[in-house]
Amino acid sequence: MEAIKLLTGSHFRKNKATSIGLFFLMILAAMLISSSLLLFTDVYPTVEREAKRLNAGEGFFRFTTDLTGIDDEYIEELMNGDVKEYEAYHCLCYPHISVPFGNGKVVMNIQVSGPEALNKKVARTEVITEDSSIKENYVYLPYQFYTSHSNEVGDTYSFELLGKKYDLKVKGFTNTTYYGCNNNGTYEFIVDDATYEEIFERDGEAQEAIVVTYVLKDGVKNSKFAIRVSNDLLKVNSNTNVNSVSLSSVITGRTFMSLIIAISFLAVSILVLLVIIMMLVNCISNYIKENMQTIGALKAIGYTSGNIKASLFIMFGALGVLGSAIGVLLSYVVMPVIAQFVVVQMGVPFKVSFSILPTAIAFMVVVFYILLVTILSVRKIKGIDPIIALRDGVAAHNFKKNRVRLDRAATGLNVSLALKTMFGNMRQNVITFIVTGVIVFLCVISLLMFENFNRTPKLDMLSFEICGGVVTADYEAKEEVLEYLEDRDDISNVRNIMNTYLYVGKEDKLWAYIMDQPSKLKNQNVIYDGRFPEYDNEIAVSGKFAKEYGYAIGDEIKLEYGDEKYTYLITGFLQTTNNDGKEALLSVKAAEHLIDFTYAPAAYNFDCDDKEVVQKVLDDCTDEYGDHIVGTVNFWEVIEGSMTTFKSIAALMLVLVCAISAAVILLVLFLLIKSFLYSKRRDYGVLKAIGYTSNNLILQTALSFMPPIILSVLVFSVVSYFAANPYMNMMMSSFGIMKANFTIPIPGVVVVGVGIVTVSFLFAVFEARRIKKIEAYKILIAE
Amino acid sequence: MKNIIETKQLCKTFSNGGRQSHVLKNVDLEIREGDFTIIMGASGAGKSTLLYALSGMDRPTFGEVNFCDTEITKLSSDELALFRRKYCGFVFQQTYLIDSMSVLDNVLAAGLLVNKNKKEVTEKAKEILNSVDIGEELWNKFPTQISGGEAQRVGIARALVNHPSMVFADEPTGALNSQTGRDVLDAMTKFNEQGQSIVMVTHDITSARRGNRILYVKDGEIAGECDLGAYVSGDADRHAKLRDFLGKMGW
Repeated sequence: MEAIKLLTGSHFRKNKATSIGLFFLMILAAMLISSSLLLFTDVYPTVEREAKRLNAGEGFFRFTTDLTGIDDEYIEELMNGDVKEYEAYHCLCYPHISVPFGNGKVVMNIQVSGPEALNKKVARTEVITEDSSIKENYVYLPYQFYTSHSNEVGDTYSFELLGKKYDLKVKGFTNTTYYGCNNNGTYEFIVDDATYEEIFERDGEAQEAIVVTYVLKDGVKNSKFAIRVSNDLLKVNSNTNVNSVSLSSVITGRTFMSLIIAISFLAVSILVLLVIIMMLVNCISNYIKENMQTIGALKAIGYTSGNIKASLFIMFGALGVLGSAIGVLLSYVVMPVIAQFVVVQMGVPFKVSFSILPTAIAFMVVVFYILLVTILSVRKIKGIDPIIALRDGVAAHNFKKNRVRLDRAATGLNVSLALKTMFGNMRQNVITFIVTGVIVFLCVISLLMFENFNRTPKLDMLSFEICGGVVTADYEAKEEVLEYLEDRDDISNVRNIMNTYLYVGKEDKLWAYIMDQPSKLKNQNVIYDGRFPEYDNEIAVSGKFAKEYGYAIGDEIKLEYGDEKYTYLITGFLQTTNNDGKEALLSVKAAEHLIDFTYAPAAYNFDCDDKEVVQKVLDDCTDEYGDHIVGTVNFWEVIEGSMTTFKSIAALMLVLVCAISAAVILLVLFLLIKSFLYSKRRDYGVLKAIGYTSNNLILQTALSFMPPIILSVLVFSVVSYFAANPYMNMMMSSFGIMKANFTIPIPGVVVVGVGIVTVSFLFAVFEARRIKKIEAYKILIAE
Repeated sequence: MKNIIETKQLCKTFSNGGRQSHVLKNVDLEIREGDFTIIMGASGAGKSTLLYALSGMDRPTFGEVNFCDTEITKLSSDELALFRRKYCGFVFQQTYLIDSMSVLDNVLAAGLLVNKNKKEVTEKAKEILNSVDIGEELWNKFPTQISGGEAQRVGIARALVNHPSMVFADEPTGALNSQTGRDVLDAMTKFNEQGQSIVMVTHDITSARRGNRILYVKDGEIAGECDLGAYVSGDADRHAKLRDFLGKMGW
């Protein structure tokens, strides 16, 4: 054992720089794997964990519009049998209200409650931070307003409810499961008693709502229960608007981006681990090649192959164990930074805590692969004959070919010699090619995310329809408003898109988009398979829903609304990230089999690219039709607000991937060039002796690394261009994106490609400057 | 004197492109305990091949090698390694010291394979290093920081640290100048005088004079042998006898 220890120390001393390079890669891999596992197991479940802690149960109902006949007794009757616990409370609800958030505005259902909302027992609302000195004229905002840096405690928050502006002091921020995230459609503003009274007096009659949160008994299926309650309630009062939201859809909405980040991180870490494995194989193989005579001498003096293998195994194993340990510890250092970005989107408080499982898994995965690769790589030592080893591995036969003949080469001498070197190192070329390719792919994906979530948001992937603005008019004025909008020259393509839930038996429900001509949708990408519904018996449903229930295009689906039932033909599949990926699209004529739209308001979407013009149209409309306008939405303003969370996450991904890519490519080049210079030192000695300058040799060496890098950049840029969207499909299909059509910024890809080649060349020149230290005389006399 | 090594019909054949080259041809040979056996011959005669076949470093194509009553031709490569660590010491033309180990560590790396008592082995290693004139000031230096002669004497110390039954030396002075070569030979002679058996391949007549038994290899066979008797420094007759023998062999 002592002898093996001695040998292990000797290996390390001899390969100090290489070992340290590998060590850093091991740290990086362990850190990335541990971070992504922590994102999966600690950050991602935070929303669910918090929901449990706040006793969120399985979902909530919000009854609005007409509450006649819905009293406490009736609610008790409604809940009876299926729920373990429930809580009903009154508040005010304003659908589709535009409120300031982030850098812009968001359109949300705004639920306004009095301070008693903080005393709920089911789906509790908890104050995270507050200024208790603020006693009046205040509002508690959801925590997401804090994490997105929209507001601070003590700020004045101004918002408008049905034309009345309110300026309230931010008393604190609340942690709430259902009403705390812009992706879930509802924000709860808890205001002081006096303010609540004032708002209630003004809007109470029309905006009063009853919210029922519930915890189901074991074995009761939430979707079935929600449909049963909706149907029962509509029988009592068909004018009541029932909005039911499940906990699972809330969790999906809140964790959408954090899951993408976790998956992206895991993908990056796996690729880094693959790079390490390749580098480890290369390093061990080089080590054996470079130390052939030493291995021969060791075997001669009595070391068995097992002893030599054990010494290498101990060295790389120890590096792996130490590197992994440091890596997982570092993951806890970087986690708060990563978590900050995720928390913006989740809108829940999160603190990094030690988690044994992801830590142990990350540690063991890295150590296991390092040990496995080491075991497999050192096997070749057994086959080395001591005599051949003492002759530096020179066997009787050698099939080397002279691929670049200097007498026939058309290129200059330096380039010809660089090509000769390149052809003589095929394994190094393959590794460089693969590693560069992986880096190019990662960069293209992060560029894609940056382009589509930050620079120019790919709205057709994130929103069902793209438009400039929306005017919602009541049934009395809807025809007039349509005429008015169509007559305006500054907007175009006015179309009415109405929404309601349609029920699939007693099992599930679909959020339906209903319009005169569905094929007139601006977002033509929304149908990813099949065609738009055209006739009155046709419908398109979301792909995620179809997959869950086994529907194919051409199948029939029976839908219900109240007592009405109708069977539709499925003509196409939709891709949508909203409503848990359960949506449908059909024409007004088709929907009329179930619903009478006579008294329904109309939501007119119109196109206009100018935010200011859109605002003018909305203001003109409100001035013209007053109370007949139920709501207006400036789409461009809303996008600015709702993209706040996506933007920061996309920017984080770009920065992280670029930093990791740069670190990996530089470490890999460092390891390859170092080992290359060592193996070529004799040749360099000879070349210097015959008159080559150090600069000639540095240039040749750096150039010899370039062909595989350039080739890889070219090949993988093209591959990534075609593979990026399928890769995003794979990642996002669980959210409803079935056929991603993200923009790949070609100039960005070109910049990345040129950047990788340039940085690699400069680094190769920098590393190859060690050639200057090689002295021809010393090398030759050492032979 | 007892035979340490005995070979029977030892053959070694290399094949290259369908052409066979018989480097050793039915060599029957005994190496006696305590002898300083010299193997001489022209380049390509098979001297080194014979040395490595005798030591178990290389496998013969045919025939037997009995080493300390063990037929080493039947041993696996790992068994051979275990055998070598116990019974053999090697001194090469190029020292093959491990660059990343200090002088002392290079000797310990061999010693600790056989004796687990670190203290004992360290003492023994220091003693041997001293006996080959490698003083304490050099023990912590690395092979690249000492001269070629010093490195070769460290190689001898490494070969001897386990008290092997036989030291095999393959042209140990081939890469050294005359003075440092003489120092190395003096060290080997001293150990032989203390009872250490040595087999040395050389084509240098001055080095060969140190041996008491000269074997001459020609075309893969032992063409002749000469008994020079115990080495005595400055013995002119000994030199003449050797020259005479080599002359007869066609040297």
